[in-house]
Amino acid sequence: MAQNVTNVSQTEEVSSTRRVIAASSVGTLIEWYDFYIFGTLAKIISEQFFPKDNPTAALLATLATFAAGFVIRPFGALFFGRLGDLIGRKYTFLVTLVIMGGSTFAIGLVPGYKTIGFFAPAIVFVLRLLQGLALGGEYGGAATYVAEHSPAGKRGFWTSFIQTTATLGLFLALGVILIVRQTLTVPVFEDWGWRIPFLISAFLVGVSIFIRLKMSESPMFVKMKKEGKTSANPLAESFKKKDNLKMVLIALLGATAGQGVVWYTGQFYALSFLQNACNIEFEQSNTIILIALVLGTPFFIVFGALSDKIGRKYIMMAGMLIAVLAYRPIYTMMYNDADLKQKTEIVEQTNVSEPKVEVKGTDTVTTIVTKKTFTDGTTYKETKKETIPQDEAKKAELAAAGKLKPETKKSVVLPQNIFYKMIGYVFVQVLFVTMVYGPIAAFLVEIFPTRIRYTSMSLPYHIGNGVFGGLVPLISTRLVEATRPAPGLPPADPLAGLWYPILIASVSFVIGMLYISNKTNNMDVD
Amino acid sequence: MSVIKKIFGILWTLMGVGIIPLVIMQAMKEIAAKPSEENWIFWSIVIVVLMPIISFSLITFGIFALKGEYDVLA
Repeated sequence: MAQNVTNVSQTEEVSSTRRVIAASSVGTLIEWYDFYIFGTLAKIISEQFFPKDNPTAALLATLATFAAGFVIRPFGALFFGRLGDLIGRKYTFLVTLVIMGGSTFAIGLVPGYKTIGFFAPAIVFVLRLLQGLALGGEYGGAATYVAEHSPAGKRGFWTSFIQTTATLGLFLALGVILIVRQTLTVPVFEDWGWRIPFLISAFLVGVSIFIRLKMSESPMFVKMKKEGKTSANPLAESFKKKDNLKMVLIALLGATAGQGVVWYTGQFYALSFLQNACNIEFEQSNTIILIALVLGTPFFIVFGALSDKIGRKYIMMAGMLIAVLAYRPIYTMMYNDADLKQKTEIVEQTNVSEPKVEVKGTDTVTTIVTKKTFTDGTTYKETKKETIPQDEAKKAELAAAGKLKPETKKSVVLPQNIFYKMIGYVFVQVLFVTMVYGPIAAFLVEIFPTRIRYTSMSLPYHIGNGVFGGLVPLISTRLVEATRPAPGLPPADPLAGLWYPILIASVSFVIGMLYISNKTNNMDVD
Repeated sequence: MSVIKKIFGILWTLMGVGIIPLVIMQAMKEIAAKPSEENWIFWSIVIVVLMPIISFSLITFGIFALKGEYDVLA
């Protein structure tokens, strides 16, 4: 009889923990989805909301907005972290969900630059900041909430489900974008179809709010509140007390900074590299990332669970070290496998279209399409579009400013065997991500006390992941550009962008190895 | 081990201090060579956001390490 009661009680406990994990993870997943559709659609957003005169400036402006979304995250971590430590985890991460959903939906409604001029990028910028603020409050809350429900000795395993949400959010974002793009035609998608993934967010967030409203508050927070032990000033306690500040610093420099750059390199930079350095066609490049993410995602849970057995430190550090050593060889292979100079063209199959001349407004637009096929099955399409004003004075002005260059779009479609190799290269990078990211929530939760946990763990996480990691696209693009001998010529070192993540991950590895303990804190979270 | 941690503490502090003039000089050099909007945006982000975080955290961490605050592992 007593055995039956124990079994029922254990079953109920497991079922309750599963509900907690599911409800927390779904909300966090949707927040990541909201956040990533902006980054994934960076090129289209750039064309819609920023002046087209200088495409690089437009792209950089978008990346800057992207970075602003990341840079603001630590402020969200402070603001909502404090709130979470004062009033509770549950209501705080409900608020972050509403803010995130609202701002994502609103981005889908903002008219373009052509319609409302400067207001368009300004509004998008503000909404992007709100997204960053909300995300800053979300992750720490979800990780803390799940960890505070988890049984001791299984914290790495349970929190690893929260860790899958960032990758699954990116997966969902890419999947929705691909489906919408395939359902509509490409011009329609680029005209208004890109808004649909933003608008869908309203429905997803609605579902998530409904689920979260049914959740109860974290038992540790409830207990602490009952006993009157909550912190009166979590911010001051987190960052003014030396004992906590030194843990914040070690979490940032020895773990989250390295984790952040490995995360963004393995997923975002890989996609950007496939599209911009290798010129791989939009759908094929996104499919490569999607498949690699699907294959890699279970390893978050594998490494999270493994960290309960062998400790968090060595798994995270091994991930950083292998990433540092393997990035250049992996990206060299990716580049070589897509490099047309190393392939043999079947000249008789090359097709250059007749120039197609159209009059658009006051401009004459001439389009020439070149198609090439290579012996290994690779196909290449180049669309050269030259826009010349009919007004001679304007034409002379643009010519003098060197702005009469044709716009060239390159698109490479890889054959099956190289396509699978590319999936393999990205999958290996996602494995590094799972090693550094799988155990990190449990690691962060365990080094801070309950009364200031939400605030203390959120800040290093969002500085590491948001600032160090979030700036990977901007800094890496810049490093590659610096090797370009002259405008219009290809960069001398297309892999130069990797030096930033390699440097940050190396420093983080040394600090982590020297100063972090591998002992898993199996004491009660409190 | 604690001696190594302290020696590295000096290195982190020096890195944190040294990065400030290095970044500022590089920014001035590049903006002077090409004062374009994209240069300004890029270097503003690096100087206003990234550099202070790196410098402050490395210097503070280095000083703690030097004082032996991390002799008992985290």
